[in-house]
Amino acid sequence: MSIEKQNYFTRFNVAQRIEHLLLVISFTLLAVTGLVQKYNTAWISEVLIDGFGGIELTRIIHRIAATVLMLECIYHAVYVGYKMYVLKEKASIVPSIKDGKDAIQVFLYNLGFSKHHPKMPRYNFAEKAEYWAMIWGTLIMGITGYILWNPILSASILPGEIIPASKAAHGMEAVLASVAILIWHFYNVHLKRFNKSMFNGQLSREEMEEEHALELEEIENSPKLLRPTDEEIRKRQKIFYPVSAFLSVILFVGVYGFVLGEQTAITTLPQSPVRLNVFSPQTPSPIPTRKPTPTPLPSPTLPPQAAQTKPVVATSLPVAGAVTWDGEIGKLFSSKCVACHGQMGGLDVSTYAGTLKGGSKGAGIVPKDAKAGTIISYMEKGGHAGTFSPEELEKVRAWISAGAAEK
Amino acid sequence: MRGGTELIGSELLNGANMKVTRCQFRVPIICYILLFPVLICALFLTVQPAFAEATQPGGPVPQKPDNSACLGCHGQPEMTSKFPDGTLVSISVDKVDYEKSVHANLSCQVCHTNLSGYPHPKNSASNPRDYTMQYKDSCKTCHPTQSSQLNDSVHARSLQTGDKNSATCADCHEPHKATKIKKDAQGKISDEDHAKIAEVCARCHNTIYQQYAKSVHGKGIVIDKNPDVPACTDCHGVHTIQDPTLNKFRLGSPDMCGKCHSDWRVMGKYGISTNVLNTYVADFHGTTVKIFEKTHPDEETNKAVCYDCHGVHDIRSVDDPQKGISIKQNMLAACQRCHPDANLNFPDSWLSHYIPSPTKYPIVFYVNLFYNILVPSVLGGMAIFVLTDIYRRIFRKNEETHPAGGLK
Repeated sequence: MSIEKQNYFTRFNVAQRIEHLLLVISFTLLAVTGLVQKYNTAWISEVLIDGFGGIELTRIIHRIAATVLMLECIYHAVYVGYKMYVLKEKASIVPSIKDGKDAIQVFLYNLGFSKHHPKMPRYNFAEKAEYWAMIWGTLIMGITGYILWNPILSASILPGEIIPASKAAHGMEAVLASVAILIWHFYNVHLKRFNKSMFNGQLSREEMEEEHALELEEIENSPKLLRPTDEEIRKRQKIFYPVSAFLSVILFVGVYGFVLGEQTAITTLPQSPVRLNVFSPQTPSPIPTRKPTPTPLPSPTLPPQAAQTKPVVATSLPVAGAVTWDGEIGKLFSSKCVACHGQMGGLDVSTYAGTLKGGSKGAGIVPKDAKAGTIISYMEKGGHAGTFSPEELEKVRAWISAGAAEK
Repeated sequence: MRGGTELIGSELLNGANMKVTRCQFRVPIICYILLFPVLICALFLTVQPAFAEATQPGGPVPQKPDNSACLGCHGQPEMTSKFPDGTLVSISVDKVDYEKSVHANLSCQVCHTNLSGYPHPKNSASNPRDYTMQYKDSCKTCHPTQSSQLNDSVHARSLQTGDKNSATCADCHEPHKATKIKKDAQGKISDEDHAKIAEVCARCHNTIYQQYAKSVHGKGIVIDKNPDVPACTDCHGVHTIQDPTLNKFRLGSPDMCGKCHSDWRVMGKYGISTNVLNTYVADFHGTTVKIFEKTHPDEETNKAVCYDCHGVHDIRSVDDPQKGISIKQNMLAACQRCHPDANLNFPDSWLSHYIPSPTKYPIVFYVNLFYNILVPSVLGGMAIFVLTDIYRRIFRKNEETHPAGGLK
């Protein structure tokens, strides 16, 4: 290998790049579908929630993305385990004192207080910080997410307060992670220089010199990296495969429990269709009914109030004129009866002829027969709305008996 | 009338006589001034026989119609009529009540258009309800706004589906007795009339009324006539009453309760927290309901609203020893309606409208505190670091010497 002339260095293999892609998709979906819930009153959240098809669908997308991330985490653990145990690769992501020193030195160098930019290893302090922040964040989000996803199971072991506490932590951690990605990750790998290693897997010599000078030196100075023999690998694989399979199964079961452990919190029971007895009228108060009165009693049967307000009914007319229709009787009829039995149809007692003729039930009066005719019979029966006083009735009877003269 | 106007005219023309004539005609002038807008209104509203009759051009005060013909019979108490189905109903109208009522200036036939003459024309109604229904549109002529509001209401809708028990105008507003509803300048109904509202609804919704009367709100109305507590219409509306089983009503209900419960002027009197709505909205249930209200107001959500925990018409004080939900067992029972497996720890997952503090829900308080420190520290640290890098790349571009070999 003519190392001196090599200008590009493989940094990430295809599997790692696919892993990163899965992480990008699941993280972004989680962040967007989660933050719109935390900041649900913002207009942009409304637009996005609507875009996802409503809050319930937003939450389903959130949970699917969470499941993808959890499965990806299991894969990552197995992958890292294989590299560490079977291939015996250097744990290049583990932080060391040097990373702290590098960070300080870069900081001072940026400000001009240090003339030397440190030579940094395969994973520099910025990358290690991001990786471990990711591990920390995923753990917190996983635990609090589990509690929020399965609140009833959680509350059966832990105090109930752990649920709102988890919600607080889940939301704040989300803000921390998302903004950290924007500030730290986007700046470091996209803005200050577009790092394409996650897309094409390679870094240029210049990038290597700036960010991973130590790794570059190692590659160039000891070209033959120690790789275990095939026999050693096979031997370790015999142990690694069953152990990792066993642990993976446990983790898969864990994810299964996470996702499907509890359904009531997600769906809850349907609202019980409590149909109120909507129409339940009060018992109506008894209707005041007229008591049958055998004889036509004068108005004192009416309550005094009604009597006052209906002086027409209550008072007797002053007797004036001869006992004829044109004299007294017609006036009596007009004052007491014509209000209803006038020109309105049916019985009409506003005229002498109408009174004789009567209504649908026969003649109103029959001259000389004070017992016939509907008017007298109605008055005697009582219960009619308008009534003659006994004196008036007597007068009418007398008039009829005398021949019911018109003039 | 003509004489009066002529005198006003001569008064204006003849200043010398003014003093005398004014003294003589003060009362009519005031009356005409008062009457003028009424007449103008009447001109615009001539379609309404009521007003036309009330402002006959002969007199300064609206003349009462002559209803004596009808009241001659119907003014007597104990008048009854039997419907073909055998129901006996009172057909009496109390004249005194009628003349005190808001309709005193209407003649009977303004509404009872089908009842001219005696004997009355035969009516097709076979029972009292059918008879009432014949008049359901009578009020529209003079009360078009209320009538169209009613047409959008649950009462009108259930009538359209054939439920003849649905309320029409006259079921709430007894037309022969209804007096003017007293309102203040802002249109707020008087305390006295406000306290009567529930009794009106109780005529048909008695089961609900019985629950309501025992509730913390109902007691305030029934016992104290307290205008601060809601009567039926404060939550359900007046004429535009909507079906409360609709999703829209459910989703809007937190704001409905919040209208009073976020108002410190009302809640302050009773020492009730005004944070109930914002703490609800901050929680999972409230957040979801508010989102639904904004994005899908007609869709169903099973997340709890105020009345799922507090009760609907039978809302008790949270301290009520039997049903109050400040007692954990009662709260658990409320939780279990939707989360049947919940145990006694579970109610604590709801912060009971409290804002977490070191004494109330300390775990939540300290988690928040931790993150309120952690988030700005971490992000701030990152930002500072990034800024120094930007600074170097922009302002110290030319100084880049790196003997250590890290940078070119």
